[in-house]
Formats: sequence, C-alpha cells, structure tokens
Amino acid sequence: MTNKLQLKISIILIIALIAGMLSGCAKETKLTRYDTEFLSLFDTASKIIAYTTTEAEFEKQSNFIYDELKVYHELFDIYNNYDGINNIKTINDNAGISPVKVDKKLIDLLLFSKEIYKLTDGKVNIAFGSVLKVWHEYREAGIALPETAALPPMETLLEANKHTDINMMIIDEQASTVYLEDKEMSLDVGAIAKGYSTEQVAIVGENNEGITSMLLSIGGNVRSIGEKGNKEGPWKVGVQNPDKEDGTSLIHTVALVDSSLVTSGDYQRYYFVNGKRYHHIIDPETLLPADHYRAVSIIEKDSGLADGLSTACFIMPLEDAKALIEKIDGAEAVFVMPDGSQEYTSGFKDYIR
Amino acid sequence: MKFFKKTDLIVIIILLIISATVYLTYNYLAQGEEAKAEIYLGSKLMKTVNLSTGENYSFSIPGKENVVFHLYEDGSIAFEKSDCPDQICVNSGKLHIVGQSAACLPNALILKIVPRNGYNNNQNDVVV
Repeated sequence: MTNKLQLKISIILIIALIAGMLSGCAKETKLTRYDTEFLSLFDTASKIIAYTTTEAEFEKQSNFIYDELKVYHELFDIYNNYDGINNIKTINDNAGISPVKVDKKLIDLLLFSKEIYKLTDGKVNIAFGSVLKVWHEYREAGIALPETAALPPMETLLEANKHTDINMMIIDEQASTVYLEDKEMSLDVGAIAKGYSTEQVAIVGENNEGITSMLLSIGGNVRSIGEKGNKEGPWKVGVQNPDKEDGTSLIHTVALVDSSLVTSGDYQRYYFVNGKRYHHIIDPETLLPADHYRAVSIIEKDSGLADGLSTACFIMPLEDAKALIEKIDGAEAVFVMPDGSQEYTSGFKDYIR
Repeated sequence: MKFFKKTDLIVIIILLIISATVYLTYNYLAQGEEAKAEIYLGSKLMKTVNLSTGENYSFSIPGKENVVFHLYEDGSIAFEKSDCPDQICVNSGKLHIVGQSAACLPNALILKIVPRNGYNNNQNDVVV
C-alpha cells in the first residue's frame, strides 16, 4: 500500500468522523415526542402530547398536569360529591340555605365567570344551570328512547329561566364562601370550566415544572406551551369539518405557539326530535339551541377566555360576534355557517397552515 | 501529479449518491401519510387496524361486544354502534386523518388515528 493511498483513506475517514460527530451533536438536543390520553376528567376525552428528553420526564410532566386538572375537575363538578371537598354541587345543594366555604381556586373561577358574563353581555352565564338542566334531561331521555324524544315545553323553560340571575350568586372573597340567594338557581360552569382549568394548569406547568413543549387537548380545548420539540416549529391543530357526511375532511390546520384554540359546535352533543337535530348550546334569550353556525373556533392566548368566547360567539349573530372578537387584542375567530361556508375575523388567516 | 485520481472521485461520487438515495428514501417513507388506527380500552392498546387494505367490515373488541367499529373501503374507521347513553362516539363520525380521535366514555374506549411511520412535521398534532 502506498503512502498516498493511506493518506487519502485517512482524509476521507476524518471527514466522515467529523460529519458523524456533527450529526451526533444535533441528535443530543433533539427531544422525543410522547403522548397519553385519558377519559376520566371533565366528562370528556383528553390528550397530552409533550416533547421531553426521556420517557420518565414525560411521565413526570403528564402526571403533574393530570393531578392538577383532577383538582379542578372535582371542584367544578356539578353532578358528584367528593370526600372532604366543597364543590359546585355543594354550592348548588345549599342554594337558599347557607353560604359554602370553598377553595380559592373555585372562588377564582367564579370571579372569572362574572368577568366573562360582563364581557359577553350575559351570553355566557354560569347561573343558567336551571335551564340547562331541563335541556339535559330531555336530551338524555330522547337519546335513550328516540321514538319518544320531545322538546322541553316552553313553560318549563320559562319557569326555569326565572332563576338565572348571576347577581344572586354572592361571593365573599374574605371568608372564601359562595352563597346562592335563590334556592331554585344552580350554577353550571360547562361553558368555561375546561378552558379555564387548562389555562391555569398550563401556566403552573410552564412556570413551576419546567415544561417547555406541550400540547394539551382537554375535550377539544387546545392549549400549547412553547413550540414543538426543541424550537422545531409551531404545533399544528386540525379543525374538523362539522359536516361529517362530507367525508371527514378538515376545514383547515392552524399553527399555535403558546396559544389556544377552542371550538364550539353543534355536531357532538345533540338529539333528534321529529327528524330535526337539537344540540346543547342554548341561547339565553330564546332558551332554544342557537342556530347561527355549525361551529365557531377561537384562537386566543388564554384558553379560559377562548372557551367563554367560543360559546358566546356561537349564540351571537355574525356581525355582533365579529365585533366582540375584534375588541379583544390577539383574539381571532372562524365561523362555519349553516351552508358550510366560512367567515373569518381579520387576522385568522395568518394562523392557517 | 494530482492528489485525487479520476477513479477516486468517481468512487466518492457513487458513495454520495448511494447515501443520498438511502437518506431521501428513508425520509420519504417516514413522511408517508400512511395511517393506522389504534383502539384502546382504558390505557391498554387492544387492537391496531391497517387502514389501507380497502376492506369493508364491522368488528368488536373481545369482551366489549356492545360496541361495534366499522372499517370502510376508503380507509376511514368509525364507532358504528354503541350502547352508551350520549352516542358521542357514534356522532364523531368517520376518522382517517392522523391526529383524529373519538372516544366512548361509558365504555372506556378510545379510537385514534396515528401515523404508521412516526410523526413528522407535515401531520396535525391533534384534530378537534
């Protein structure tokens, strides 16, 4: 073997070695994607996706998020009691009887609900529980026995609607108590609880647990922390076409970084009466399901605000809904109209990928 | 006299072409939109369904015959029937896009669409 050949081989090997080292370095900072799903919280399906260095780290992060969400889930529950916890059901059960001492987390949600009530001009009212309860009963009965499915009589709805004044909810921040003055009234935080809880948990996770890259989808309330992986670009969230007969197409994919997307639609919780579909988002003025849209999706940093806005917009006419969204810095919306066409607020298209 | 001979260059170029081909083929396969469906009972993976066989049939998970799934010829899959009170699983319709999922809470069943060759940046992380 000549010296020259040896030199050539050495040079090629050195170059290969350097190339190998470089790609090795790149791999070291690469985070791995993990995900997990659960059905046990907020009566819905949830998903956590995160990029972490190890699977153990992912377990730690997702367990933290799950445990924190569970605290909110129990506090905001309107159907079940939990040992040693005063929750919304406890408050409802004590309506007209006595104030209930509750955790500060629950006080904060109720204060937030009052802000949303003001912001949406009463469209999102957590004191609307008595009316929603009537619809809930008729829907469950109608699904169980479709041949006897019926609409709630308007007299029943109007009677229930007499007990929906949010000002009868008395919050004493000092004593950390809540009292419903009207014994017939009840709170239902379904329109904002998931988004609000997701937001609080994401903030704590990011600030105290060192979570850098996570996507939370709590029953369709999507909240992102950071970018995907190690600054590998935004999270991509597909928004489903509400018209399922149309072959499961997406209406669009949006890119999210440190932001939320929340959708309200008529296409998951509903029942049929005489062949007509009745969904679960009730307009507080007509006391009937709102029929302006098939779906509304909101993009907004704060997932709690996004949740409230999506419900509010769903029950408002297009011009009013657009005006509400334009009023809020950084919020955008897409509206899927009954004929399948789409309307957008001015900046929504910037998020579409 | 030149340090590299013509034949050396040819060998190097051929090696580069081979590695580039391997690299690009791997990337292409990894990015393929090929999807599969996974069915979970709680957190346990019970069944994986190849969506691109062009078959059309109904099936259930052993022990959960009260819930029926359906695979369609076009590669979509759905909860076809369920004994649950709210029917949200059935109302979720046909799924076929990576990131889509549907669940039946009362029966603790999750149906989700995942990529066959790992996630890449072209897919949706979640579909809502």
